[in-house]
Amino acid sequence: MKIFSQKTRPYLILLATVLVLAVIDRGRGNVLSGATVFSALQYLATLGPVALGLSLTMLVREFDLSVAGVFGLAGCVAVLLGGDSPALGLAAAVLAGAASGFIQGLIITRLQMPSIGVTLGGLLTTIGLAYVLTGNQSLTFDNMDLALFLSARIGLFTPRSIVALALAAAFAMALYWLWIGRDLIAIGSDRRAAHTAGVRVDALMVLVFTTSGALAALSGALLSYSLASASPSGLSEVLVPATAAAILGGVSLSGGTGTPLGVTAGVLMLGVLRAGLNALGAPPFAHDMSMGAVLLAVAILDAPGIRAHFERLQTLTRSRTETQAP
Amino acid sequence: MKPSAISDMSIPVTPGSSRLAWITDRIDLVDGLRIAVFAALAITAVLTPGFLSVPSLLALLTTLSFVGCVAVGMTMITLSGHIMSFSLGATAAAAAVAFVHVLNIWGLAAGVAAGLATGALISAAQGLIIGSLRANPIIVSIASLALIYGILNLLTGNATLDVNSGSVLAAAWRRPFGIPVETLAFLLCLAVGQFLLSFTIFGRRVFLIGSGMRSADVLGLRVWRSVTAVYAWAGLFAGMTGILLATRYNQANMEYGVGYDYDAIAAVLVGGVAIKGGLGSMWRTLAGVCLMATAQVVLLLYGFRQEWQYLIAGLIVLLVVVLQSRRRS
Repeated sequence: MKIFSQKTRPYLILLATVLVLAVIDRGRGNVLSGATVFSALQYLATLGPVALGLSLTMLVREFDLSVAGVFGLAGCVAVLLGGDSPALGLAAAVLAGAASGFIQGLIITRLQMPSIGVTLGGLLTTIGLAYVLTGNQSLTFDNMDLALFLSARIGLFTPRSIVALALAAAFAMALYWLWIGRDLIAIGSDRRAAHTAGVRVDALMVLVFTTSGALAALSGALLSYSLASASPSGLSEVLVPATAAAILGGVSLSGGTGTPLGVTAGVLMLGVLRAGLNALGAPPFAHDMSMGAVLLAVAILDAPGIRAHFERLQTLTRSRTETQAP
Repeated sequence: MKPSAISDMSIPVTPGSSRLAWITDRIDLVDGLRIAVFAALAITAVLTPGFLSVPSLLALLTTLSFVGCVAVGMTMITLSGHIMSFSLGATAAAAAVAFVHVLNIWGLAAGVAAGLATGALISAAQGLIIGSLRANPIIVSIASLALIYGILNLLTGNATLDVNSGSVLAAAWRRPFGIPVETLAFLLCLAVGQFLLSFTIFGRRVFLIGSGMRSADVLGLRVWRSVTAVYAWAGLFAGMTGILLATRYNQANMEYGVGYDYDAIAAVLVGGVAIKGGLGSMWRTLAGVCLMATAQVVLLLYGFRQEWQYLIAGLIVLLVVVLQSRRRS
């Protein structure tokens, strides 16, 4: 196996981030500490499932913008309905997310629409629904016991981060061992060929969008429970980091590549970056800037144009050496 | 629609298989529906008590102009086949900050130039990356969004920048000829945009690239140049929004323009610019901007609270996107 490949990229980037932060820290132990690991895992707890769902849609060469809206909507639904029974609120939130993904998936497959347009409508609609449900106010959740339980530390973990890690592991195993992973990669690589080969393309696409909605909803609902509050605005800031994590995690925009473990490494990298920069006393916008810079760098490296430039350069040098040889 | 002549050729004319398809091939159902919705909304608006008053109309014209300028920029991006940009709102904020900063030192004209140039440069850099390397436009714009806010935060410390002289414009200049200055600026942006699309070679290239990037390549167009220019213009128009906001409030803030990207793309799609690119015009965007703004005011006058507007805006966009697909399939 090559050391530098699309598959190893997320782990290498994660390693490089830790190393760079540790070097900047110069052995004072601010970065390489349990606190950094803990807050990186907390970051994973919030963002991991969202990035996981988004990466599934990217695996089949689509893009689900609506995760950001569903994330916020689910938090509001959970807090509104979970007053008496948090489980009911959670179930309703996840169901709402799944339903939103299901409807969008149906529209995309039945009408053969580009997913960006449909999920843009979905994003705006779910944000609007969240505003309507909450009456444009932030809600508080009375069940402090649950909030404390969800944020209780178990070593380096909390129940929320354990859920996120378990989900990542479950999806990793499902995609690795079950036929579904192979079929999703086939759809993402060449949809027509996959269809010809007997893959149920449409059904799987709907399933992917449903899963993406449900995962975003689960994560949004758990976050709102643990913060003991929900508000329609301000929660839409998950789109940038979730996309960044998926891309950093080795998911290609041209479809067909990416693994749940890679995406998890991508989220952890962003979490380590944030925690490390905090530990180093960097201002809060340093995280935004470095995340934007890294995402831009990966977008450039992934661009089809740069591969064409590179190949042209290769053939040029090769032909030059060939003409020199005789 | 004249400017879409090139793109019309690229859509294969398929013989309708059913009678319904035969009709929809000839009468554009979506545009028919759109006109009906516009007419219905116009009648509702006129019949709504309180809508047809001078202060209400002036307020409507002012607010729609802010999103309108961003929408003009977004139209360029959508037409050229790059769907949308998530960073135009942030670009407007950056332009507002640059405008007020330079205004305080060198005066109004230099400030406007600095604001427009800031917007154009930020956006052109993205266009260069997207056009020359074929990087994904959505991802580049999302990355730029994070970068722009990071840099703005670094430069301003998230503080509000005030105009030194107290007010950018004297009271007399706020409404030349009785029209809000924001509306005049919006109309200017629209006119410039439509002029570029209709009467310049650049405009033809935008439609061609939007209809099919590969065919533009095959024709030997230097696509990266046109794409960079598209983004530069888009940034310039977004910069205009920043300047207008700063002029209106006599200060600049990072929060300016937040969410305008969504409002702008909603207006562009509702007006009937094809999300796949290559089909549309500034007039359609104008119609979309007016429709969304009018709908908001009417909802407000009928006592719907603000949050319903968000939901209805989202549903309208979803509906429009779905309806657009029927024309193609």
